[in-house]
Amino acid sequence: MGWRETAACVAIGVAIGCASAFVILGNGELLGRESRQGWFGNANAGSTAADPYTRAIIAKIGLLALSRAETIYFHIYADAAGKRLDDRCAYELRGGALPARWWSITVYAGDDFLPVNGDDAQSIDVTRLTKAPDGRWSARVAATRDGAKNWISTKNAGRFSLGLRMYNPADAARATIDAIDFPEIRTISCAGAAS
Amino acid sequence: MNRWARRFLIATTAAVVGHAAIILAAPYVLMTGAMKRVSRDGARINTWVHAPRTTEASRTIVRPSPDLAYSACVLDVGSRPVRVTAARWHDYMSVSVFAANSDNVFVANDRNHPRGIDLLIVGPGFAGTLPAGRDVVRLPSARGIVLTRRLAPTAAAFKAADDARRGDICAAT
Repeated sequence: MGWRETAACVAIGVAIGCASAFVILGNGELLGRESRQGWFGNANAGSTAADPYTRAIIAKIGLLALSRAETIYFHIYADAAGKRLDDRCAYELRGGALPARWWSITVYAGDDFLPVNGDDAQSIDVTRLTKAPDGRWSARVAATRDGAKNWISTKNAGRFSLGLRMYNPADAARATIDAIDFPEIRTISCAGAAS
Repeated sequence: MNRWARRFLIATTAAVVGHAAIILAAPYVLMTGAMKRVSRDGARINTWVHAPRTTEASRTIVRPSPDLAYSACVLDVGSRPVRVTAARWHDYMSVSVFAANSDNVFVANDRNHPRGIDLLIVGPGFAGTLPAGRDVVRLPSARGIVLTRRLAPTAAAFKAADDARRGDICAAT
């Protein structure tokens, strides 16, 4: 093999290797080592024990994330039926008490920042949430409020995701995510569809 | 080894090396970018930068929470230790330290430090005497970031958090 041929093989190989790495970095869903009801996370996020892939993906989609000793993070990109979350649809998010001192759920657009829509309704958190007497709650996740007491605006969010943060989680939740009653997200309707 | 096998081997080896290089370098590159943005291109090192309330216009760090008041300090502990303090807060508060590879190497919160947080952060080559009775964090890299989070989900709470953090210290000693 001549040097030109060798160089071409190296160039092709490097291009494939780099492209595959960027695909991984750009796909936050690959972070999931633990998942329940569509929510996924990784016990080693932010930790010194993180493997190189976990560390790289967290740096891309959740830089400066705290380790699980302090905070549990989960993310969801699809509804209960597995369909990708989209700002053309309206969703209902339902849940109960979460085992942490403080928790919130925040919407993120495809660029991993808050959607730009002027609604100032990017999250719900346990301190402001309107709950039923039994502690259960529901929130509308949609581009319009439509009278909902709890609302996350997805206007201009495109294909979006939700991030769940649980600060100072209970010991049981840190030990196993089976102790977490994850909220369920269900599609109510989609523009132009009769679902 | 025939010619095609040799081509395949070279390309595969190059692919593995390229892939690993990107995956291993990404945390450092992204942290470097964050440190550059937070420190205003290096103008504010070992100094708290108190972020305004997180809004849809916030673009410094990905996936921010609009319910938290963030303060960040880009660390340079290569030559001298840095003292970091955060005044007490009546609700959730944490001070976390991140190494240059993005690892969260230390965190303290208002529960285990109810009177506020006071840390000394030293670099990997620090050989001096550490003061007794102080919280000391040994950063595995010369550069890093300290981040304070105070729970402040309303405009009024954010104003109170903003007042509380004005006396916080991040400074080389």
